[in-house]
Amino acid sequence: MNIFFRELKANFRSLLIWGGIAVLFVFIGMSKFSAYEGNPELLAILDSLPPAMLAAFQMGAFNLTTITGFLGVMFNYFAIILSVAAVLWGTDIITKEERDKTVEFSLTMPVSRGKLITAKILAAVVNCVGLTVITWVALMLSSRSYQPDAKYYAFLNLIFVALFLIQLIFLAAGIFLGCAMKQHKRASSVAVSILLVTFFISIIAGLKEDSDFLEYFSPFMYFSAAELLQKSTINLAYVWLSVGIIAVLIAGAYVTYSRRDLYI
Amino acid sequence: MTVNIYKHEFKMLSNSVITWSLALSMIIFLVMSIFSGFAESAKMLNEALTNFPKELLMAFGLDKIDLSSVLGFYSLAFLFCQVCLAIQAANYGFSLVSVEERDMTADFLLAKPVSRTKILTSKFLAALTGLTITNLVVWISSFAFIQLYRDGRPYDPKTLLLLLGTILAFQLFFLTVGLLVSLIVRRVRSVTPYSMALAFGMYVLSAFGGMLGEDKLDIITPFKHFEPNYIISNATYDPLQLVSVAVIILSIAGSYVLYLRRDIHSVV
Repeated sequence: MNIFFRELKANFRSLLIWGGIAVLFVFIGMSKFSAYEGNPELLAILDSLPPAMLAAFQMGAFNLTTITGFLGVMFNYFAIILSVAAVLWGTDIITKEERDKTVEFSLTMPVSRGKLITAKILAAVVNCVGLTVITWVALMLSSRSYQPDAKYYAFLNLIFVALFLIQLIFLAAGIFLGCAMKQHKRASSVAVSILLVTFFISIIAGLKEDSDFLEYFSPFMYFSAAELLQKSTINLAYVWLSVGIIAVLIAGAYVTYSRRDLYI
Repeated sequence: MTVNIYKHEFKMLSNSVITWSLALSMIIFLVMSIFSGFAESAKMLNEALTNFPKELLMAFGLDKIDLSSVLGFYSLAFLFCQVCLAIQAANYGFSLVSVEERDMTADFLLAKPVSRTKILTSKFLAALTGLTITNLVVWISSFAFIQLYRDGRPYDPKTLLLLLGTILAFQLFFLTVGLLVSLIVRRVRSVTPYSMALAFGMYVLSAFGGMLGEDKLDIITPFKHFEPNYIISNATYDPLQLVSVAVIILSIAGSYVLYLRRDIHSVV
């Protein structure tokens, strides 16, 4: 319990900074949206397209003249920002003890390594919840002036469930790397490269039509905004896949950390 | 410059330089290896692209480029490279002098009979050498893999040279800004959050601005100053690059001033 609160306090500033970045992006985006709302030129382009095409190509989800469509486009950026934060928190919360040479001290406490990890994971999850909630509130507040309909709020909530799951995957990956890597300095660079690779995969998979199998390698592809909007449900198969990935990574973190020779 | 410090710094970086260079060359290889399959069905591709919402394409800068042309497709690889190069350069910049303070070696180094200016210059040049090696690897792998996978399709080597020529300034931007920020803040605990925030933040800003067709944000982010699509479609540099150059010069000057005056705590 002490460790948990200690970690929360230590990470609070970082949470505030990331929250600030997220809020900044919400407001930049929203201020841009005001130029798009009901923009006649854009509406004319959309009207000129045959409705069958719009439906087939899921353009409805990305109609920038409505707040809902706008949110659909913003989703990708929030996914990036939140997952960068999560993966860095994950590795940092574990490896900082070795980096700052405090790991010896914390392990002389009468707590098992497993308990130490549990407290740290919980603190990091609380941080992720915090960041998600900050972004969610910022979006809620800034979009209120556009009087969105009930569908928008349903979509918003779905998006945040998806964002939170993506965050947790990256958090778990970060924690696992922090626990498993022998060289603590390498952990964060490996974590960052995993993030980059999955991000690049998501772009490539978006380009290629027949790349369904690539999608499994990139959490950014698990939840598409267009699908969330149209079906108003999250693809359960991917939810289970995410939960599976998280469970495996966390289990791996406990196993490797309790056996590792720590750098003192 | 002091040769000892330079050599030592370069040795410290060499592993990282090799890893980054290999990664970048892999990226170019992977992207270009898809190309021949891609261009074969150029027609199908164009159809596939219309599948995507325009905003999404704009966000990834795909609305203006023709992915069935060699350089058009290469610009995708180049964008990925830019993201990596930015992170690498920012990493080096942020850690350049802050690592000494974190690892408690700063007072050892400063006790040597060398001026701070010399220390900073040697370290800076060592990092620059590392970045230049990566730069060269990108040059070589770009030419090699384009040649290998273009299947006789034409491309304009001059435009490619123009594009590759931007890398040095691009790297310098992140290196010097990272260095300056690391000297402004009191203590850099861990480099990665800083470099990720700087590099990815700039990338997201550029993608964000691209999607929304906004010009104001272009001024801040080097991803816009050195946008591959602009260079490929216009075959010239964007005048906005001058902003990057100005930032580089100011950051270097600022770093020297700050480092010379910095209060560095001793270990005990």
